[in-house]
Amino acid sequence: MTQYIQDPALWGLIVGTPLAATVIYQGRKTTARLRKQKDELESRHTELQNNFTDAVDDARLRAEEATKSALKSAMRTLQGLANEQQLAISKVQDKYGDQHILEDLLEIDHMNSQFGRRAQSVAVLCDGWLGRQRAVASVYDVARSAKGRIRHYTRVEVRSQSNFAIISRAVEPVALVLAELLDNATSYSAPETTVEINIRSVPKGVCVIVDDAGVGMNEEEKTRAARLLSGEHPVGVTELGNPPQFGFAVIGVLAARYGFSVSVDSSSPYGGVRAVVLLPQELLTSMPEQENSPASEEPAAEAPREQPATTAGGLPKRRRRGQMAIVPQARTERGTVAARSSEETASIMGAFQRGTQSGRSADSSRTEPSREGHEVQ
Amino acid sequence: MTTSEEHEPEFDALVRPYVITNGRGFSDSDRFDLVTLVTAAPDQQRKAHLGPEKRELVELCEGGYLSVAEIAGHMKLPIGIIKVLLTDLAEDGYILTRAPIPPAQLADIQVLQEVLDGLQARFG
Repeated sequence: MTQYIQDPALWGLIVGTPLAATVIYQGRKTTARLRKQKDELESRHTELQNNFTDAVDDARLRAEEATKSALKSAMRTLQGLANEQQLAISKVQDKYGDQHILEDLLEIDHMNSQFGRRAQSVAVLCDGWLGRQRAVASVYDVARSAKGRIRHYTRVEVRSQSNFAIISRAVEPVALVLAELLDNATSYSAPETTVEINIRSVPKGVCVIVDDAGVGMNEEEKTRAARLLSGEHPVGVTELGNPPQFGFAVIGVLAARYGFSVSVDSSSPYGGVRAVVLLPQELLTSMPEQENSPASEEPAAEAPREQPATTAGGLPKRRRRGQMAIVPQARTERGTVAARSSEETASIMGAFQRGTQSGRSADSSRTEPSREGHEVQ
Repeated sequence: MTTSEEHEPEFDALVRPYVITNGRGFSDSDRFDLVTLVTAAPDQQRKAHLGPEKRELVELCEGGYLSVAEIAGHMKLPIGIIKVLLTDLAEDGYILTRAPIPPAQLADIQVLQEVLDGLQARFG
């Protein structure tokens, strides 16, 4: 035992053990402290990183907003000009409708429609408005209106007519959406192929189906399209790419804003893309009077009564369409006629009436309007 | 230009004229002029297949004869467009046309002069 006591190794052991324990303890403590510091640093780093991302997002958002508001007001001016120009073109078309210049006027009209559509599309992406008030219109007419807004409109065939009409608020957005779909369809299919529009009534509403005979889309494109069309991830003006691809982004925004849905994930029987616009019942209505007749018969009959019921020549104004015929036929009770008769028409026709009536005998002023023309025979 | 017009439409037509005729702007056929009279053909079973404008036009003409100018006024479309529609409809047998009513013959000025001379010789 004593030889052990004198053994320096034992003493070394006795002294060394607590020393080692202390060193180990100290080491552990340091490690823990370092670990804590590291955690702290890490959390601060994340915090900073988040702040930085937020700041960048914020700046981007602000830049986006600024771009949007600038573009929006610029587009509003352009939209206004396009509308004004369209009215002017309409007037000139009516004025020179009988001459060869009409063909050129129609071409200008077509270009102006495309111009107006582009301005509208950009405005939509900038949270702007479509800026056109429309009356209730049949789905068929809305489809044709869309057709008129793209370059290769003669390739588009609207196949089926339907009795459904779209409420006035949704006419312009649906027309714009269809125009963008048609633009895609005609752009991505061969020039000699046609693009078909079919209108089908389904339990949930009405489907407008656009089929093209193009090359279709691959899975990646379909995924991108579906993301844009859902309208859940609004696309900024700065993310449209170069050259900018508006179509799906515009459609997504409008569909979300007005509550209808658009899908392009099926393929058409002709091998291309089949785009389906599903209009829910809330956006549908029936035509006011008869399909495709914007004015009902009653205002037509009343319009002349509100004004003095005679023309400048002292002759009674024609009241009903049935009576407007120069040579009336036997059947007079037919009531389904649907002229676009209105106060305007009555006044427009006034000039013509004065012309024809002044050519007839003075006695005709006392005859019924329905009989005028008889004495000419 | 826009201020002086009395019949300013509130908004432009939804379906533009070139869409209605699918790009055909001017019909070269001289079958129709402003005063050509048009009426609907008697039997109209297939009318449902026509486009809205053509159907409206045929229905407009069902009441009797209307001139091309009158039709254009009612339909609020340029006359050239109406002529294209009418040409199509006439080809398909939906409408019938009649030449304009000839203006009354003016009496020969020489005869009138002779009558006047005779009257003056007798009573003057």
